[in-house]
Amino acid sequence: MAPVLYEVSRQTRQRRISHNISAHQIRLDADARRRAAQNEQGDQVDENNQSNDQTSVTTPATTPAVSASPAPVPATRGRRAAAAANTQDEEAREKEQKAIEKIKASKKFQKRKRYLDSDGEDDLARALLQSSAPLPGQQENCENCGTRFTVTAYSRNGPNGGLLCSPCSKEASKDDAAKSKKPKRATGGAVGKRRQVQSNILDGTYSLGAKSLMTLCIETLAKNIDLAEDLGDLPSPIIDKIARKLSKHRLLDSRTLSLFLQPTAEEVHVYDGAKLSSDDFIRIFQTVPGLKKLKIRNGIHFKDQVMDYLMSRHIELEDLYLHGANLISEAKWKEYLQKKGHSLRSLRVYFTDKHFTDGVLELLSTTCPSLTRLKVSHNQAVTGAGVAAIAQIPTLRHLTLDLRNEPHSDIYVDLLSHIGAHLKTLSLTRVRDADNTVLDAIHTHCRALAKLRITESEEMTDAGFVRLFKDWANPGLEFVDLQKCRQLDSAHPRENPDGLGLCSNGFRALMAHSGKKLRELNVHGCRHIGADAFEDVFSPAAATGRVYEAMAKLEISFCEEVTDFVVGCVFRTCPRLRELNVFGCMKVRDVRVPRGKILVGVPNARGMVIEGDDDEEEEDEEMDTSA
Amino acid sequence: MADSKYITLVSGEGFEFVVLREAALVSPTIKGMLRSQFIEARTGRCTFPEISAHVLEKVVDYFHYWYRTREQEDVPDMEIPPEMCLELLMAAEYFNLDSKNPLRERE
Repeated sequence: MAPVLYEVSRQTRQRRISHNISAHQIRLDADARRRAAQNEQGDQVDENNQSNDQTSVTTPATTPAVSASPAPVPATRGRRAAAAANTQDEEAREKEQKAIEKIKASKKFQKRKRYLDSDGEDDLARALLQSSAPLPGQQENCENCGTRFTVTAYSRNGPNGGLLCSPCSKEASKDDAAKSKKPKRATGGAVGKRRQVQSNILDGTYSLGAKSLMTLCIETLAKNIDLAEDLGDLPSPIIDKIARKLSKHRLLDSRTLSLFLQPTAEEVHVYDGAKLSSDDFIRIFQTVPGLKKLKIRNGIHFKDQVMDYLMSRHIELEDLYLHGANLISEAKWKEYLQKKGHSLRSLRVYFTDKHFTDGVLELLSTTCPSLTRLKVSHNQAVTGAGVAAIAQIPTLRHLTLDLRNEPHSDIYVDLLSHIGAHLKTLSLTRVRDADNTVLDAIHTHCRALAKLRITESEEMTDAGFVRLFKDWANPGLEFVDLQKCRQLDSAHPRENPDGLGLCSNGFRALMAHSGKKLRELNVHGCRHIGADAFEDVFSPAAATGRVYEAMAKLEISFCEEVTDFVVGCVFRTCPRLRELNVFGCMKVRDVRVPRGKILVGVPNARGMVIEGDDDEEEEDEEMDTSA
Repeated sequence: MADSKYITLVSGEGFEFVVLREAALVSPTIKGMLRSQFIEARTGRCTFPEISAHVLEKVVDYFHYWYRTREQEDVPDMEIPPEMCLELLMAAEYFNLDSKNPLRERE
């Protein structure tokens, strides 16, 4: 086969030079083919191209074409070299013959021969000769660099079949690895893509078009954070973003923490401290002496010894946010507040089991004269006594309580009567027993509220909510979360004779009072808000002149009465709306969503359908999903 | 003079990049430069002395990548070589290419 290939390639080279095909050219081609056929018949061992060329020149019987060729100069040159080449050639042939004999005698050959007739014997022997490389332990010259090396079982083959020495094989495997790495596909086909889009919608990261360059950079950086020595003098908002991104992948550990500790900083946010040890937390205070705001999530090892260190330094924290630091004892909390409490403006404590107690809260009024923000979340220790103590902190502006013990409503009423007048934020999560008296207290005392959250109350009634919002002297609220304030009676789920929870009238009163200013509204699971109430509130602007300018996020999941019509009205009356949640609203079937808005939780397989000019595309997608 | 479809961005070393105007407008910084009475608005030529050519090239890459994919859902990410990540981050900050950018939100 080799000779034919050679001839053809020579022909093509000539053709390329002349740029056209003449009759002479065609004759040459034919001759070449004939000669190749003859060569094959003659059963010559023409292994390499050079020897073939020489043979064809020296044996005139087989090479009429070359002798008649119009280029005699190369032919004579070839003849001069022929003598030397001939002897070389013979030697090589002899060598090969010997090798073939050897192979024929080998076991491997005998085994394989069984399946062949005698004609194939030579071919097989030759094939084995080619494949037979030196055995492990023997010496061989590297195919690539020519150095002599010892063959091992791990020696690699080079591109031409020879063996490579170990440095060269390392190089070769590196190349292979680079080649075999396929470019990653963004998504897996039409369904995978659709799934990804839905996943993005649920994550709240859905947007048309590309990610911002900054996001792309930060993601790349997070992926390669082990390469980073220093983040340089990036502006702190960016550093904060990187920190958030890292925490998402739980990449923040002792080493990467150093990247975020800048000696001149006043804020340190550790979004995920699960991998940090007590020493790492201490290092924060060592590196950042001017620390004012500290936020640590999952700071399990933020324990007494860290508190001790913090108290021994000249750091006066203004803002302390601790999440999951449940190894700090009650005594240490008290000690800290007594020593460092005077500078504290904001104290937020999440998931601190049993050690953040009534006793700690009682200290706050005396030790923290400038405390404006207090958040106690997921706390199992605080009872009514602690909540009553909060009433003694007159500076408080933002109060968030999420307690496992449920204080009586009277305690909240008392609290509001003391500090309600200046409160901007009131958040009472999971207050099952809180009743209308709390709502009335809010109505009577609060004058500066912007954010109100009361969730899962089973006692408050529709009439209570109407009383709260009707003629309330407080300016319009910006954030309202009244989720799961509803009647819970599994025996008669449809009946609600007492008007428990937020129902139609309460909802109307709420929107009449705060609708213009509301940015975010959550009435998740308020099942008894009727369709007529929704239609009254969100009826198109033309009829009632109502537009909810500020509304950006609306959560009306599990409100049974929400229909396609209501959702359409919402989109029309809330021009700034970004996201509308309608999980479990089974009457929402087929709404077209305006561009730039997100509808989450549509109860069908298709998900959100964007209104606009790419209807055809949407239909394609639909077909994909049905297939 | 009617605005040309293209504008020229010039790097610190003097390399010039001719960019589709609409694509470059994703950056509020450039948008600001091209507004009203500034000299950049008249000449359609913005010079960034503190940005080097290889970073600006990548930024220009991004402009067109953004422009190309602005109507698509679930866009594949643009490749960013890790070694120029920090420089590019600074440039992104300079060009205000942040996700909270109100201009990126759809009208």
